[in-house]
Amino acid sequence: MRVNRFQEHVLVLPEDDYNRQLANGFLLEPGVRNIQVLRVAGGWLKVLDCFQSDHIRGMDDYPGRFMVLLIDFDGHPERVDEAKARIPARLIDRVLVLGVLTEPERLPTRLGSFETIGRALAKDCREGTDTTWGHALLQHNASELDRLRERVRPILF
Amino acid sequence: MQAQYARYDALVIRRFYVHNFRCLENFELPISGQPSVLLIGSNGSGKTTVRLALEVLQKIARGTNRVGELVKPRDFARGRTDVPMRFEIEVELDAKRYAYAIAFELPRGFKELRVLDERLAVDGAPIYTREVAQVRLARTNQEQEAKFLIDWHLVALPIVQEPSKLDPLSIFKQWLRHMLILAPVPSLILGESNQETLEPNVQVTDFAAWFSGLLAYMPSAYSKIDEYLRQVIPDLEDIKNPVIGADSRSLVVQFSKPEGSPAILERLSVPFEDLSDGEKCFMICALVLVAKDAYGPVFCFWDEPDNYLALHEVGHLVMALRRAFQTGGQFIATSHNQEAIQRFSDENTLVLYRTSHLEPTIVRPLSELQVSGDLVGALVRGDVP
Repeated sequence: MRVNRFQEHVLVLPEDDYNRQLANGFLLEPGVRNIQVLRVAGGWLKVLDCFQSDHIRGMDDYPGRFMVLLIDFDGHPERVDEAKARIPARLIDRVLVLGVLTEPERLPTRLGSFETIGRALAKDCREGTDTTWGHALLQHNASELDRLRERVRPILF
Repeated sequence: MQAQYARYDALVIRRFYVHNFRCLENFELPISGQPSVLLIGSNGSGKTTVRLALEVLQKIARGTNRVGELVKPRDFARGRTDVPMRFEIEVELDAKRYAYAIAFELPRGFKELRVLDERLAVDGAPIYTREVAQVRLARTNQEQEAKFLIDWHLVALPIVQEPSKLDPLSIFKQWLRHMLILAPVPSLILGESNQETLEPNVQVTDFAAWFSGLLAYMPSAYSKIDEYLRQVIPDLEDIKNPVIGADSRSLVVQFSKPEGSPAILERLSVPFEDLSDGEKCFMICALVLVAKDAYGPVFCFWDEPDNYLALHEVGHLVMALRRAFQTGGQFIATSHNQEAIQRFSDENTLVLYRTSHLEPTIVRPLSELQVSGDLVGALVRGDVP
């Protein structure tokens, strides 16, 4: 389902190709709607640059727009605070910063392909479970995930 | 129409092999187990030839049995007429594996190819085998094998009698007939129909007949068509298909004024042929989604589904199709469009390439090619073979 910019919707800005594939998997889960994956930014700092240069105005213009910045934490869980520091305070409630603690390539192969993992994350999201989000490389997202469930899940499912 | 079609609980092409057909030599398409697959590659790499090879098999199932109407001498790879041309397909339907193979040859002095051999087997047991003109029908229950001769310029599959609609031969032919092989040309798609079909042609110029056939087959299909189309055409009110003459209908699409709109008109009726090319593609997508549920799961090959679409619509159409086929059937797309390409991932993207026009097509999963960084960037740079 395509997004309607006049209604609540979610844009996903992935850092790289692996994160894009995770997002693809998320969109494949049945029932997911009102979400669009944007082009890869090419690095976590570029995600923030891109957000600042291309998306702040759009978020101001469309109050129903939420954004997920999908970045690699490269072993630095505090990166979420660094990222949020570059998001204007008026928009912070509508921006989520999520990602793998190291990088998606480090997720164990037993979890499946990036698409498979993305689908599992969407299923968790829909069902309110932590089966995949609870993985050691993903559990640092807990506080952002709470916000996702509270505010974004009703838009997506 | 409902009673004459069996349903399948599962369907996947397990193997599709082509040899000595145009640029496809000893070519196997690795799509087994994938609900959706994207074929990418430079112009001339062989993506459309894969479609043409599938069309050969679809035409056979739809009743074209004259070899000369299926393949021509010029279809031999690099004019190599001393080697047979082969098409082999294995599909899984209701946990049974159906394997159909046909080979053509062009003996010296012939102007038209003839059948060299042909066979259909289910779970390894032959339904029939054929060598040149001799066809052998396998029999069960101690019945003896039956043999008959057939013109070697005719394919046996459309001719062999189907004992019942639930017979394996019938099930396989029905599945093959129902394959959706699409390369729509919207400007040629009109709204009039004087028949019903569940088997649209490649250019989908019989869209209206397909629409009529689907609704006759499953009247509840309309609500599904409506549900999808309202997502992409929010001001759509309904689609009417009134009778306009003896056995003839014409599609009319009605739009209504969106809530709060200052427009004076409350409604606008538009003949189907006057829709934009992109809107017609949305309509085709809606019918694919419905067909998948109605008489599928089906196999759908859509050559460049992104054609005619606005950039922001491409991803949604592709994801709608991919998501739908997660639950059964198979969807294969080709594309040069970066929005479409980005909606697939490494494990379901196949790269087709040729070193030159003198070389055959090679296919490799993207996951084996070690493309570094952004795939679209690599494609733009020409770093993907």
